[in-house]
Amino acid sequence: MNDSCSSASKLLEKYFDQEATDKERLLVESHLQDCLACRGALTSMEDMRTLIKVPVEEAVREEDFPWVWQKIEREIRSHEKLTRWQSLRPWLDVFPLFKKKVWIPAVATVVVLLFITGQIIFRKTPSYPDSSVVEYLESPTYNVMVYQTEQPKVTVIWLFEGPEEEASPS
Amino acid sequence: MKRVCTFITFFSILFLFFTSVAFGQVHTRLRVIRASNVGSSVDPSLRDVHQELGSLFSFTSYRLLRDEPLNLSPNHPVSISAREGKINLETTLVGLHRGVAEVRIRVAREGKEILNTQVRLSPGRTVLIGGPRLQEGVIIYALSARF
Repeated sequence: MNDSCSSASKLLEKYFDQEATDKERLLVESHLQDCLACRGALTSMEDMRTLIKVPVEEAVREEDFPWVWQKIEREIRSHEKLTRWQSLRPWLDVFPLFKKKVWIPAVATVVVLLFITGQIIFRKTPSYPDSSVVEYLESPTYNVMVYQTEQPKVTVIWLFEGPEEEASPS
Repeated sequence: MKRVCTFITFFSILFLFFTSVAFGQVHTRLRVIRASNVGSSVDPSLRDVHQELGSLFSFTSYRLLRDEPLNLSPNHPVSISAREGKINLETTLVGLHRGVAEVRIRVAREGKEILNTQVRLSPGRTVLIGGPRLQEGVIIYALSARF
Protein backbone atom coordinates (compact mmCIF):
# COMPACT_ATOMS: atom_id res chain seq x y z
CA MET A 1 0.00 0.00 0.00
CA ASN A 2 1.52 3.35 -1.12
CA ASP A 3 1.07 6.80 0.47
CA SER A 4 -1.92 7.83 -1.69
CA CYS A 5 -3.55 4.48 -0.88
CA SER A 6 -2.98 5.09 2.82
CA SER A 7 -4.57 8.54 2.74
CA ALA A 8 -7.48 7.33 0.55
CA SER A 9 -8.23 4.36 2.78
CA LYS A 10 -8.70 6.78 5.69
CA LEU A 11 -11.42 8.48 3.65
CA LEU A 12 -12.89 5.22 2.34
CA GLU A 13 -15.30 4.69 5.25
CA LYS A 14 -16.42 8.32 5.06
CA TYR A 15 -16.98 7.90 1.34
CA PHE A 16 -18.85 4.64 1.87
CA ASP A 17 -21.17 6.30 4.42
CA GLN A 18 -21.70 9.22 2.00
CA GLU A 19 -20.31 11.66 4.52
CA ALA A 20 -17.29 12.78 2.44
CA THR A 21 -17.04 16.32 1.05
CA ASP A 22 -16.98 16.88 -2.71
CA LYS A 23 -13.22 17.30 -2.64
CA GLU A 24 -12.72 14.09 -0.64
CA ARG A 25 -15.16 12.17 -2.87
CA LEU A 26 -13.25 13.19 -6.03
CA LEU A 27 -9.98 12.19 -4.39
CA VAL A 28 -11.27 8.73 -3.39
CA GLU A 29 -12.91 8.08 -6.76
CA SER A 30 -9.76 8.97 -8.72
CA HIS A 31 -7.76 6.72 -6.39
CA LEU A 32 -10.19 3.81 -6.73
CA GLN A 33 -9.73 3.83 -10.53
CA ASP A 34 -6.07 2.93 -10.07
CA CYS A 35 -6.11 0.90 -6.81
CA LEU A 36 -7.36 -2.67 -6.88
CA ALA A 37 -6.86 -3.18 -3.10
CA CYS A 38 -9.05 -0.20 -2.17
CA ARG A 39 -11.76 -1.29 -4.64
CA GLY A 40 -11.66 -4.66 -2.93
CA ALA A 41 -11.98 -3.01 0.48
CA LEU A 42 -15.00 -1.00 -0.75
CA THR A 43 -16.63 -4.14 -2.15
CA SER A 44 -16.11 -5.87 1.22
CA MET A 45 -17.84 -2.97 2.97
CA GLU A 46 -20.81 -3.21 0.58
CA ASP A 47 -21.04 -6.98 1.09
CA MET A 48 -20.97 -6.49 4.85
CA ARG A 49 -23.76 -3.89 4.65
CA THR A 50 -25.92 -6.20 2.54
CA LEU A 51 -25.28 -9.02 4.98
CA ILE A 52 -26.53 -6.94 7.94
CA LYS A 53 -29.28 -4.99 6.17
CA VAL A 54 -31.49 -7.94 5.12
CA PRO A 55 -32.09 -9.52 8.57
CA VAL A 56 -32.45 -6.13 10.25
CA GLU A 57 -35.13 -5.04 7.75
CA GLU A 58 -36.94 -8.35 8.23
CA ALA A 59 -36.91 -7.93 12.01
CA VAL A 60 -38.24 -4.36 11.71
CA ARG A 61 -41.03 -5.54 9.39
CA GLU A 62 -42.10 -8.22 11.86
CA GLU A 63 -42.00 -6.01 14.94
CA ASP A 64 -45.39 -4.59 16.17
CA PHE A 65 -44.37 -1.14 17.24
CA PRO A 66 -47.82 0.19 18.33
CA TRP A 67 -48.16 -2.77 20.68
CA VAL A 68 -44.67 -2.16 22.08
CA TRP A 69 -45.52 1.49 22.62
CA GLN A 70 -48.75 0.65 24.41
CA LYS A 71 -46.80 -1.65 26.68
CA ILE A 72 -44.30 1.08 27.44
CA GLU A 73 -47.08 3.60 28.15
CA ARG A 74 -48.75 1.18 30.51
CA GLU A 75 -45.50 0.64 32.35
CA ILE A 76 -44.99 4.41 32.64
CA ARG A 77 -48.52 4.90 33.99
CA SER A 78 -48.11 2.13 36.53
CA HIS A 79 -44.96 3.75 37.84
CA GLU A 80 -46.53 7.19 38.03
CA LYS A 81 -47.48 8.11 41.58
CA LEU A 82 -50.98 9.64 41.70
CA THR A 83 -51.92 12.03 44.41
CA ARG A 84 -54.97 11.18 46.53
CA TRP A 85 -57.04 13.80 44.77
CA GLN A 86 -55.97 12.50 41.32
CA SER A 87 -57.01 8.98 42.23
CA LEU A 88 -60.33 10.23 43.62
CA ARG A 89 -61.14 12.44 40.67
CA PRO A 90 -62.26 9.71 38.20
CA TRP A 91 -64.74 8.46 40.82
CA LEU A 92 -66.17 11.90 41.37
CA ASP A 93 -66.64 12.33 37.63
CA VAL A 94 -69.25 9.56 37.68
CA PHE A 95 -71.86 12.02 38.88
CA PRO A 96 -72.72 15.00 36.73
CA LEU A 97 -73.24 16.90 39.96
CA PHE A 98 -69.54 16.79 40.76
CA LYS A 99 -68.63 18.00 37.30
CA LYS A 100 -70.71 21.10 38.00
CA LYS A 101 -68.69 21.66 41.17
CA VAL A 102 -71.65 21.57 43.51
CA TRP A 103 -70.11 18.88 45.69
CA ILE A 104 -69.50 21.21 48.62
CA PRO A 105 -73.22 21.93 49.19
CA ALA A 106 -73.92 18.26 48.46
CA VAL A 107 -71.48 17.13 51.16
CA ALA A 108 -72.97 19.71 53.53
CA THR A 109 -76.46 18.31 52.86
CA VAL A 110 -75.26 14.75 53.53
CA VAL A 111 -73.65 15.87 56.81
CA VAL A 112 -76.87 17.58 57.90
CA LEU A 113 -78.91 14.49 56.96
CA LEU A 114 -76.52 12.23 58.89
CA PHE A 115 -76.77 14.54 61.88
CA ILE A 116 -80.58 14.44 61.83
CA THR A 117 -80.65 10.66 61.27
CA GLY A 118 -78.14 10.19 64.08
CA GLN A 119 -80.35 12.17 66.41
CA ILE A 120 -83.25 9.87 65.59
CA ILE A 121 -81.28 6.64 65.81
CA PHE A 122 -79.16 7.42 68.84
CA ARG A 123 -81.63 9.56 70.75
CA LYS A 124 -81.84 8.93 74.42
CA THR A 125 -84.59 6.53 75.25
CA PRO A 126 -85.74 5.65 78.72
CA SER A 127 -83.98 2.49 79.86
CA TYR A 128 -86.59 0.21 81.27
CA PRO A 129 -85.73 -1.99 84.18
CA ASP A 130 -86.24 -5.61 83.21
CA SER A 131 -88.66 -6.00 86.09
CA SER A 132 -91.32 -3.78 84.49
CA VAL A 133 -92.40 -5.98 81.61
CA VAL A 134 -96.09 -5.11 81.89
CA GLU A 135 -96.66 -1.43 81.16
CA TYR A 136 -100.39 -1.42 81.78
CA LEU A 137 -103.13 -3.94 82.08
CA GLU A 138 -106.90 -3.64 81.77
CA SER A 139 -109.55 -6.31 81.99
CA PRO A 140 -113.18 -5.30 82.48
CA THR A 141 -114.49 -8.79 83.30
CA TYR A 142 -111.60 -10.82 84.71
CA ASN A 143 -109.41 -10.73 87.76
CA VAL A 144 -105.84 -10.60 86.60
CA MET A 145 -102.70 -12.02 88.16
CA VAL A 146 -99.23 -11.07 86.98
CA TYR A 147 -96.38 -13.38 87.84
CA GLN A 148 -92.83 -12.89 86.72
CA THR A 149 -89.58 -14.81 86.87
CA GLU A 150 -86.13 -13.79 85.68
CA GLN A 151 -84.58 -17.25 85.19
CA PRO A 152 -85.99 -18.10 82.73
CA LYS A 153 -87.37 -14.76 81.63
CA VAL A 154 -91.07 -15.46 81.80
CA THR A 155 -94.02 -13.21 82.60
CA VAL A 156 -97.39 -14.81 83.26
CA ILE A 157 -100.60 -12.84 82.89
CA TRP A 158 -103.47 -14.96 84.10
CA LEU A 159 -107.16 -14.17 83.81
CA PHE A 160 -109.50 -15.56 86.44
CA GLU A 161 -113.16 -15.71 85.52
CA GLY A 162 -114.50 -16.00 89.02
CA PRO A 163 -115.49 -18.60 91.59
CA GLU A 164 -116.40 -21.13 88.88
CA GLU A 165 -112.92 -20.88 87.32
CA GLU A 166 -111.42 -24.32 87.04
CA ALA A 167 -107.84 -23.20 87.00
CA SER A 168 -106.89 -22.22 90.46
CA PRO A 169 -103.45 -21.54 91.90
CA SER A 170 -102.01 -24.68 93.38
CA MET B 1 -69.84 1.45 33.82
CA LYS B 2 -68.11 -0.61 36.48
CA ARG B 3 -67.83 2.45 38.72
CA VAL B 4 -71.49 3.36 38.22
CA CYS B 5 -72.52 -0.17 39.23
CA THR B 6 -70.29 0.02 42.33
CA PHE B 7 -71.89 3.32 43.35
CA ILE B 8 -75.42 2.05 42.80
CA THR B 9 -74.67 -1.08 44.88
CA PHE B 10 -73.11 1.01 47.65
CA PHE B 11 -76.04 3.41 47.90
CA SER B 12 -78.55 0.57 47.68
CA ILE B 13 -76.92 -1.07 50.69
CA LEU B 14 -76.98 2.25 52.56
CA PHE B 15 -80.63 2.79 51.66
CA LEU B 16 -81.61 -0.71 52.78
CA PHE B 17 -79.70 -0.26 56.05
CA PHE B 18 -81.38 3.03 56.91
CA THR B 19 -84.85 1.87 55.91
CA SER B 20 -84.49 -1.31 57.97
CA VAL B 21 -83.45 0.80 60.97
CA ALA B 22 -86.28 3.25 60.45
CA PHE B 23 -88.98 0.66 59.84
CA GLY B 24 -87.60 -2.19 61.95
CA GLN B 25 -89.56 -5.36 62.27
CA VAL B 26 -89.71 -7.46 65.38
CA HIS B 27 -89.67 -11.20 65.03
CA THR B 28 -91.67 -13.07 67.61
CA ARG B 29 -93.02 -16.55 68.11
CA LEU B 30 -96.57 -17.15 69.19
CA ARG B 31 -97.71 -20.48 70.51
CA VAL B 32 -101.39 -21.15 71.19
CA ILE B 33 -101.77 -23.82 73.87
CA ARG B 34 -104.67 -25.61 75.45
CA ALA B 35 -104.07 -26.67 79.03
CA SER B 36 -106.49 -29.01 80.69
CA ASN B 37 -106.85 -31.82 83.19
CA VAL B 38 -107.96 -34.28 80.53
CA GLY B 39 -105.15 -36.77 79.99
CA SER B 40 -101.59 -36.29 81.04
CA SER B 41 -99.70 -35.56 77.88
CA VAL B 42 -97.40 -32.62 77.42
CA ASP B 43 -96.27 -31.72 73.91
CA PRO B 44 -92.46 -31.86 73.74
CA SER B 45 -92.33 -28.28 72.44
CA LEU B 46 -94.22 -27.10 75.54
CA ARG B 47 -91.89 -28.41 78.20
CA ASP B 48 -90.74 -24.88 79.03
CA VAL B 49 -94.33 -23.68 79.48
CA HIS B 50 -95.24 -26.74 81.54
CA GLN B 51 -92.19 -26.23 83.73
CA GLU B 52 -93.12 -22.61 84.33
CA LEU B 53 -96.85 -23.07 84.92
CA GLY B 54 -96.53 -26.41 86.69
CA SER B 55 -95.72 -24.69 89.97
CA LEU B 56 -98.69 -22.33 89.61
CA PHE B 57 -101.47 -24.44 88.14
CA SER B 58 -102.44 -28.06 88.31
CA PHE B 59 -103.03 -28.77 84.64
CA THR B 60 -102.00 -32.25 83.58
CA SER B 61 -102.18 -31.83 79.82
CA TYR B 62 -100.59 -29.19 77.58
CA ARG B 63 -101.43 -29.36 73.90
CA LEU B 64 -99.99 -27.13 71.20
CA LEU B 65 -102.73 -25.79 68.92
CA ARG B 66 -100.70 -23.36 66.83
CA ASP B 67 -97.07 -22.35 66.60
CA GLU B 68 -96.44 -19.38 64.34
CA PRO B 69 -93.71 -16.84 63.76
CA LEU B 70 -95.10 -13.31 63.95
CA ASN B 71 -93.24 -10.51 62.26
CA LEU B 72 -94.54 -7.38 63.90
CA SER B 73 -94.30 -4.06 62.10
CA PRO B 74 -94.92 -0.76 63.87
CA ASN B 75 -98.64 -0.06 64.29
CA HIS B 76 -99.71 -3.03 62.18
CA PRO B 77 -101.96 -5.32 64.25
CA VAL B 78 -101.63 -9.07 63.74
CA SER B 79 -104.53 -11.27 64.83
CA ILE B 80 -104.62 -14.92 65.78
CA SER B 81 -107.88 -16.71 66.40
CA ALA B 82 -108.65 -19.85 68.34
CA ARG B 83 -111.74 -21.94 68.90
CA GLU B 84 -113.24 -21.08 65.51
CA GLY B 85 -112.65 -17.39 66.03
CA LYS B 86 -114.36 -17.15 69.43
CA ILE B 87 -111.14 -16.12 71.14
CA ASN B 88 -109.00 -13.65 69.29
CA LEU B 89 -105.57 -12.26 70.18
CA GLU B 90 -104.31 -9.14 68.51
CA THR B 91 -100.69 -8.01 68.84
CA THR B 92 -99.37 -4.63 67.72
CA LEU B 93 -95.82 -3.35 67.84
CA VAL B 94 -96.04 0.15 69.25
CA GLY B 95 -92.38 0.87 69.88
CA LEU B 96 -88.86 -0.45 69.62
CA HIS B 97 -86.13 1.06 71.79
CA ARG B 98 -82.68 -0.44 72.20
CA GLY B 99 -83.64 -4.05 71.77
CA VAL B 100 -86.86 -3.79 73.76
CA ALA B 101 -90.10 -4.06 71.82
CA GLU B 102 -93.27 -2.55 73.20
CA VAL B 103 -96.16 -4.75 72.19
CA ARG B 104 -99.81 -4.04 72.78
CA ILE B 105 -101.87 -7.20 73.27
CA ARG B 106 -105.64 -7.35 73.12
CA VAL B 107 -107.60 -10.49 73.81
CA ALA B 108 -111.26 -10.60 72.81
CA ARG B 109 -113.82 -13.28 73.46
CA GLU B 110 -116.73 -13.41 71.04
CA GLY B 111 -115.93 -9.86 70.01
CA LYS B 112 -115.80 -8.54 73.56
CA GLU B 113 -112.46 -7.33 74.83
CA ILE B 114 -111.36 -9.22 77.92
CA LEU B 115 -107.76 -8.02 78.16
CA ASN B 116 -105.90 -4.96 77.01
CA THR B 117 -102.27 -4.79 78.01
CA GLN B 118 -98.93 -3.52 76.85
CA VAL B 119 -95.73 -5.42 77.53
CA ARG B 120 -92.03 -4.88 76.95
CA LEU B 121 -90.45 -7.78 75.14
CA SER B 122 -86.71 -8.13 75.42
CA PRO B 123 -84.65 -10.90 73.79
CA GLY B 124 -85.28 -14.20 75.52
CA ARG B 125 -88.40 -12.97 77.29
CA THR B 126 -91.63 -14.98 77.05
CA VAL B 127 -95.01 -13.59 78.01
CA LEU B 128 -97.67 -16.14 78.83
CA ILE B 129 -101.28 -15.00 78.73
CA GLY B 130 -103.76 -17.57 79.92
CA GLY B 131 -107.02 -18.17 81.67
CA PRO B 132 -109.90 -17.86 79.20
CA ARG B 133 -111.79 -21.13 78.96
CA LEU B 134 -111.38 -23.24 75.89
CA GLN B 135 -113.51 -26.41 75.72
CA GLU B 136 -112.60 -28.49 78.77
CA GLY B 137 -109.48 -26.49 79.58
CA VAL B 138 -108.01 -23.01 79.23
CA ILE B 139 -106.22 -21.26 76.42
CA ILE B 140 -102.66 -20.00 76.90
CA TYR B 141 -100.79 -17.72 74.54
CA ALA B 142 -96.99 -17.81 74.72
CA LEU B 143 -95.39 -14.83 73.00
CA SER B 144 -91.59 -14.97 72.76
CA ALA B 145 -89.13 -12.43 71.45
CA ARG B 146 -86.81 -13.66 68.70
CA PHE B 147 -84.65 -10.64 67.99
